[in-house]
Amino acid sequence: MTIKKLLTLALSVAMLFALASCGSENEGVQAIKDHGVLKIGCKEDVPNFGILDPQTGEHSGMEIDLAHMFAKEIFGDESKVSFQGVTAKTRGPLLDNGDVDMIIATFTITEERKLTYNFSDPYYEDAVGMLVRKDDGINSLADCNGKVIGVAQSATSRDALQAAATKLGVSVTFKEFGTYPEIQAALQAGNVDVFSVDRSILRGYLSNDLTLTEDKFSPQKYGVTTKLSNKTLATYVNDLIKKWNGDGTIAFLVGKYNL
Amino acid sequence: MSNGPFALWRWEMLWSDKAVIFDGFVTTLLISILALLFALLLGVIFGLLGTSDRKTLRMVNRVYVEFFQNIPLLVQVFFIYNAFPFLGMRWSSFMIGVLGVGIYHGAYVAEVVRAGIHSIPKGQFEAAKAQGFDYLQMMGYIVIPQTIKIILPPLTNQAVNLIKNTSVLATISGLDLMYQADSWASQGRLSYGPAYVVAGVLYFIICFPLASWARWYERRIKSREHIQLSDNAKDELMMMAEDVL
Repeated sequence: MTIKKLLTLALSVAMLFALASCGSENEGVQAIKDHGVLKIGCKEDVPNFGILDPQTGEHSGMEIDLAHMFAKEIFGDESKVSFQGVTAKTRGPLLDNGDVDMIIATFTITEERKLTYNFSDPYYEDAVGMLVRKDDGINSLADCNGKVIGVAQSATSRDALQAAATKLGVSVTFKEFGTYPEIQAALQAGNVDVFSVDRSILRGYLSNDLTLTEDKFSPQKYGVTTKLSNKTLATYVNDLIKKWNGDGTIAFLVGKYNL
Repeated sequence: MSNGPFALWRWEMLWSDKAVIFDGFVTTLLISILALLFALLLGVIFGLLGTSDRKTLRMVNRVYVEFFQNIPLLVQVFFIYNAFPFLGMRWSSFMIGVLGVGIYHGAYVAEVVRAGIHSIPKGQFEAAKAQGFDYLQMMGYIVIPQTIKIILPPLTNQAVNLIKNTSVLATISGLDLMYQADSWASQGRLSYGPAYVVAGVLYFIICFPLASWARWYERRIKSREHIQLSDNAKDELMMMAEDVL
């Protein structure tokens, strides 16, 4: 390839990126009204928060209820929601490229993430926990010297556990996976010794051979996430979460799902 | 401050964490080299079986090649990682990289070797046997040296594919280049833009020279064969002339 051809190629790639970053953005709730349906990114593998029933194709859980409530506020019709399954890994990019309007998917609020996305006030607080094999004799993080801990990519659990382990003087290594079922498989196959994410999520992966330890690390607050540039929508979402926190709606949902 | 996926600060952040990406690069390189050696070993053995006179040996070659060529590498890797432990075999992700990817590409190399040996004219085998060469001597002195020349370009393409395919290890937490890039990208502020670009560039840096070399070598062989052919033609002419005399 000649230099000239290479340059042409580089230039077209650059133009592609430039084009991708263009495109006008209709701000706020009006944009959602315009496309006629509220597009929500939700978990499909977390019982009681967001779970997809493969037989009926229906989503259910506390976060799904929240999504329907937003649809009711926006359209006056709670059925105008379309759900898109997300993982800890994919939810950020899906919000960035506009595939979804909001993420309600056990998304932990952190200072660092606030620089990248808008978070509402928290609607739930949870702690990071540990799922282990029953016959392994691991009762807490203190027993984990030299053990391998499986965590989800892009989740906060790795930092939380590393901090706690350093404090205890326990040395652990981490393996990251894309989805929760992959970590469960790795735990059952013995490729990792601990499966660590938020406790409410872990509860969905309990089975005959697996058990949850008593450990609770760095409480995690879940918020509804919107695109950073879309400040009007963020305010709208936050006002509603504030209202539902105040009038007991969210407390009712927490009770409804035994969270 | 811009928040786009390719914002300058994301590149600066990646630069300060470059050791992580470099670790992945070294792991990928190491796994690729070992897997390639293993694939070559398997490929030569099974390729030779494929050219055997005995039907059973040819069957062994077919079973190996068809089995590993027709099941996606990702399925094989997941199976080894998640199911082998229940059969009492736990392979580390590094071992899966070397052995798993090696066995998979060994099947492709076997096909290249088999096709290469078949492309050697029958007369060469017959001549070697007529001169009293045994099987190993015939292969070692006569057939393989001619085969290597022919199969080097397709083999190099296999090497390039192998290097790229080691990236499936990212799905089983393989600590390779793609895993490290992906892991880095998904932390905190989600800087997947620069991470994937850099990973792509690093794979390109290993693969492009190999692929270019293969193309160059192929061209050179072709032009040489041209000269050789005319040499042969000259020899033939000479002999014909001697016959006349």
